[in-house]
Amino acid sequence: MANAEYDLIVIGAGPGGYTGAIRAAQLGLDTAVVEMDSRLGGTCLLRGCIPTKAMLHSADLVSELATAKIAGIEVADWKIDFAQVMKNKADVVDKNAKGVEYLFKKNKITTEKGRGKLIDRNTVEVTQDGESRTIKARKGVILAMGSKPTEIPVFPVDGKRIITSDHILDLEKLPKSLVVLGAGAVGTEFASIFARFGVETTLVEMLPHVLPIEDVDCSKELERSLKKDGIKVRTGTKLSKADVEPRGVELTLEKDGKEEVLKTDVLLVAVGRSPMTKDCGLQEAGVRMHERGYVLVDDFMRTSVEGVYAIGDIVPTPALAHCASAESIVAAEHVAGHDTHPVNYKTVPNATYCRPEVASVGMTEQAAKDEGYDVEVGKFPWAASGKARIKHQTGGFIKIVRDKKYDEILGIHIIGPAATDLISEAAALIHLECTNEELSRIVHAHPTLAEGMLEASHAAAGHPIAF
Amino acid sequence: MATEVTMPQMGESIAEGTITKWLKKPGDPVERDEPLFEISTDKVDAEIPSPASGTLTEIVVNEGETVEVKTVVAKIAEGDEASGGGGSETPAPEAESAAEDKPAESAPEPAAEAPAPEPSKSESSKPASAPAASGNGGTATREERVQTKSSPLVRKIASEHGVDITQIEGSGVHGRVTKDDIMAHIEGGGTQTQTAPAPQKQQQEQAQQTSAPAPTAASGPTATAGERDRVEPMTRMRQVIAERMVHSVQTSPHVHTYYEIDMKRVADIRKKTKDAFLQRTGGAKLTYTVFMMKAVIDNLAKHPAINASISGTDIIYHDYVNLGMAVALDGGLMVPVINDAQDLSMVGLAKQITDKATRARDKKLGPDELQGSTFTITNPGSFGSLMGDPVINQPNVAILGMGKIEDRVVAIDGAIAIRPRMYVTLGYDHRLIDGATAEKFLSGIKETLENFDETAL
Repeated sequence: MANAEYDLIVIGAGPGGYTGAIRAAQLGLDTAVVEMDSRLGGTCLLRGCIPTKAMLHSADLVSELATAKIAGIEVADWKIDFAQVMKNKADVVDKNAKGVEYLFKKNKITTEKGRGKLIDRNTVEVTQDGESRTIKARKGVILAMGSKPTEIPVFPVDGKRIITSDHILDLEKLPKSLVVLGAGAVGTEFASIFARFGVETTLVEMLPHVLPIEDVDCSKELERSLKKDGIKVRTGTKLSKADVEPRGVELTLEKDGKEEVLKTDVLLVAVGRSPMTKDCGLQEAGVRMHERGYVLVDDFMRTSVEGVYAIGDIVPTPALAHCASAESIVAAEHVAGHDTHPVNYKTVPNATYCRPEVASVGMTEQAAKDEGYDVEVGKFPWAASGKARIKHQTGGFIKIVRDKKYDEILGIHIIGPAATDLISEAAALIHLECTNEELSRIVHAHPTLAEGMLEASHAAAGHPIAF
Repeated sequence: MATEVTMPQMGESIAEGTITKWLKKPGDPVERDEPLFEISTDKVDAEIPSPASGTLTEIVVNEGETVEVKTVVAKIAEGDEASGGGGSETPAPEAESAAEDKPAESAPEPAAEAPAPEPSKSESSKPASAPAASGNGGTATREERVQTKSSPLVRKIASEHGVDITQIEGSGVHGRVTKDDIMAHIEGGGTQTQTAPAPQKQQQEQAQQTSAPAPTAASGPTATAGERDRVEPMTRMRQVIAERMVHSVQTSPHVHTYYEIDMKRVADIRKKTKDAFLQRTGGAKLTYTVFMMKAVIDNLAKHPAINASISGTDIIYHDYVNLGMAVALDGGLMVPVINDAQDLSMVGLAKQITDKATRARDKKLGPDELQGSTFTITNPGSFGSLMGDPVINQPNVAILGMGKIEDRVVAIDGAIAIRPRMYVTLGYDHRLIDGATAEKFLSGIKETLENFDETAL
């Protein structure tokens, strides 16, 4: 069989890979994407962002029902049909995956089914059903293999009692109880979903706060809110033992030397993600590695091998779909010889879609202080927002961290309704280097949640208007 | 109707272009898409076609001039209106376009096609929207250039530091000056900024690690990690030290001078009083550094040029001593500052040294405790070094380094004696301090220590 030849080969059809492939095709490169999954979309679309948010939407409807009566809408009888929740989730995923297929067709991108392995800067080996073929790249290769849930050897994942985020998305029925190990974005979202579906849920985090990378004010606020929703939150707590028994898992938690024994149907291990760079031929091809399986790249996503680029969860930058897409566009433009600009990592937003949502961009208050900035903070509580009041979602706040010296907006942290959407304005402000004063002069529509940003900026300047 | 011809954008990162040659003269008839002028930019040299048919009425930007993209470089009047003043009879066309062998045709054409041309539809839509600054019609105003090249934050920083943004090379999209660019400019890092490189040029270079590169003096050989090397990102503290050291060496012409001091008297006093001192301080020891600080403070008062800073062409004399003391930490160092050290007794100094050093190691110093020094002392002697050439802690103009105190054989009054001796180094900024001043200061220190006034305790 004649070897296929392309300008660019992308390994991996996740949000990083497919975005870069489309950009490259737009720039006139004959592009192929190697994908071992039967569907396109990668973790984000098949096992991450999209399915979890579909389930969160179902859970949010449960929350909305709680306030519906107050707003004058009485729903006589409702129940959670978990099978339908999962079917709805599967349908959303399917439609999105087909959407990527359509985009590939539209941009004349070839999908090479199979597992990709880098041989050299011009050659990729694709293996499918035990048979291997090689394909050639004239101009470049973008490595976008992504990541998988990190497993802890002492608590071996069996897919039934001890599971990862991959497994929990395929549950057929609701467990009675769930313990989530790790209160990062993934763990917190699943805890938020299942607790609202009536599952007895415990969230365990080794660090002192939930969402440890977020501003500690947001973490504390969220912790309060999760507890109010009936989630048992165990921070500063280590899981020291997990014994799988016929009818569940017996866990031993440890905090300050004190032990707590807990039985649960299912233990969800959500302690992070690991790059999928093993057996991909990287070292053999001379690609220089960073620690823990990450690939070393420069500002333009180039690896140490000329013409070979790496993006997304396999490089040591935030493991977020939107970060991968941005990196991939830089790589694709660079391969095509088109003008491009490195990703501004200072403005990559973090987003957790639990309820209330938490999102942030830039520096936390503590980080800004550690960097030596003369910091002033402004906080706008949702309790003072007309729109939040209307929506009966008055918990949380917007917090702006600014530098007093030059009035630079250093960070914006939001917990509350639509936080993950509102954060985009914050990212734009920081990306365009807006000062807090200029923000306070941007007219925001009223009544909106977005005007909270304006109020927070007045607060950060020391003169809150609306509260 | 007149069409304004603008400097085209020849690539996303290109902000300006130079007109190398005009192919038409004012008064010449031009056809749409006919080559009008030649330009040269960072990336390409190109022949630029006319956006409209008509008569070239005015050349705004002359050959050899460099202007921003979208600046109006010429004006073309269309149809009859152009030649209102006897267009068909203009003397130029014949001579100029003789070589093109169809001079006669080109002239009347615009008139014939008069109803058709719709200037704004010419292939590039940019020129139409470009001339926002209607009035002057010339190159972009200073204000416009500032606006296009900056952000609110950059403008604020620029106004506080009196910096002209148009003079800074921007690393942002379309050459926008970012906060990092202007801060580098202000901190004297010069104008080397990292712009999006043309891929082709970059491809040969070795890939380097993500994250901002540590500042280096100039472009030179770069290190690349091999298989047996280990790559770790610099800590924030390391980056700051790297930045400050490069900056200091680039800013100040360093000169170093050395004195040897007999520490017998100080050693004797210390031995005699240190226990009582420890009680008075409640735990802070009477170290040699305390004596040195006392001597430094006293002598700085006599030599104001050593306790000063340079600001542009001004000299700032400090009538107080904010004493920086270098403290070694794991993986770096910090220089906490003892403010108004001139008002402190030796007990007070000792307490401050202990307190600041401890909190520096525990990373508990506030940012205000790490800035504002007027002079700095470093003590490499505590590790065993005899003498060293310390780098000035900017914006100080001098730094004093203490060597190890050790017994040495010396001749005193014609006899051989064994005395505790110490080498002291003064590193100073020759822009402000001359050798004589430095010598007087150091000899004052020597005098003070060798005849230490016990009552100071």
